[in-house]
Amino acid sequence: MKPSTKFVPRFHFSLFLAGILLLVPALNSYAADAAVEVQLDVKKAAPRAIEELTERGILRDYRFAWTSMAQALQFNTFDPLEGPFSGEAKRWLRQTVTSQQQSGLSHRYRDQNHRVEAVFYSPEGDVVELHDTAQYHLQILDGEKNIHDENVVVHYVVLMTPGADRWTIRQLQAVPQF
Amino acid sequence: MARLVRICAVIYLATACASACAAQDLRVPDSAVAGEETSISTTGSGKATFYLAGPGVSRKNQVALGEQIRLTAQDLGDAGYYLAILCSETCRSASFYVRAGKPASLSFIVHPSRVPVAQNEAVNGVALPFDQYRNLVLAPVIVNFQLKAKDASLFSRAVPTQNGVAWFRTASGKSAGALLVVASLDELTTRRAVQQVASEACNLRITGQRTKTGILVQTEPVHDCSGNVLPDGTIVTFSATGPEGRDTVDAPIKQGIARAQMDSSGATTISVASGVVMGNEIRVGAQP
Repeated sequence: MKPSTKFVPRFHFSLFLAGILLLVPALNSYAADAAVEVQLDVKKAAPRAIEELTERGILRDYRFAWTSMAQALQFNTFDPLEGPFSGEAKRWLRQTVTSQQQSGLSHRYRDQNHRVEAVFYSPEGDVVELHDTAQYHLQILDGEKNIHDENVVVHYVVLMTPGADRWTIRQLQAVPQF
Repeated sequence: MARLVRICAVIYLATACASACAAQDLRVPDSAVAGEETSISTTGSGKATFYLAGPGVSRKNQVALGEQIRLTAQDLGDAGYYLAILCSETCRSASFYVRAGKPASLSFIVHPSRVPVAQNEAVNGVALPFDQYRNLVLAPVIVNFQLKAKDASLFSRAVPTQNGVAWFRTASGKSAGALLVVASLDELTTRRAVQQVASEACNLRITGQRTKTGILVQTEPVHDCSGNVLPDGTIVTFSATGPEGRDTVDAPIKQGIARAQMDSSGATTISVASGVVMGNEIRVGAQP
């Protein structure tokens, strides 16, 4: 039986389409991650000094946590919260998503810029406290309707603890000032 | 023409003013505490949609303008940044912060769980006060740290929290046994236990005697420099050097003493070590 000549281009097109479909979420994720600027200053960390490798880990995981949080609160989904958050921070974020699913609200965080300072690093290295002066564009939507839109500066007190392969945020608490 | 422009301007201003005067507005609390009810006052008339967005809450409901909007304890359980939004034809918003309440629990992390005696800066602890909704209490409070061994107080210090954290670091005690580490804040008390074990051996001494099968060598009771008996299982290494060459035997301490049987028929020199500590050296004569 002679093979169909139409089959080959169709197969290639399907492969191309599948590739695009696989690539889009990755590109989205990258774009969201790239939009989160984080500068970490560890000079004042005490009583234990933060080593360079630890600093890089905290920076990487803190940035990823904000990317994940933005995704969770924009699309009202729990999945992005698995991993970067634990303890109280994870509890209230999950509660926010549940509450948003019921009210129909969603948050959009854009142009995030975080100036983070490590102010405490425990003697055994099992908890780090960060002070984050976060600046971002916050949009709140009721369905498709934009009900709030502004650039805000919010101060966050953050507790992070090391896990098996990453630092997780246990406490994320906004305060009027440090 | 100029008159017409003036009339139009007056009409426009009057319309704008009427619209502004009828527009809704809201006034949020100056300070709010987690888990405590509060309210938001509104101005205007008619109906509006009220939104509250904050940590753990996303509330939407209809309200009558000009009336107070009640925020329940459940709405404000988590400390943080809240946005109140009121929408009728347009939306108005105001933000406020909810701070943590009084300390209701104390998280207390102590390291290590097992520590040799008489070590400088060997025991440390970190205490973090939380309110009943598990918000970190950032207002300064005094945490009292105490270390006790056999009802004797070894260390006591009052430390004010800084950014919600109080910590201490101190030396371990002189005696082996349980060390109770206590952090207290007003009525709150959290206890942790640290096991203090003997430190390195001190004045390690051995005796030896020839037997039919070789040399029986044993330590005197092994103590650290504070007089604590080294725990069972601590390894002591015996090394014998004789005409047959060099032989090494590891033996665990049992009830304070380590013993070993060494095979050597000629004159032998035996030395002993435990960890980094060297003991005495003995010479045992050849088998008659």
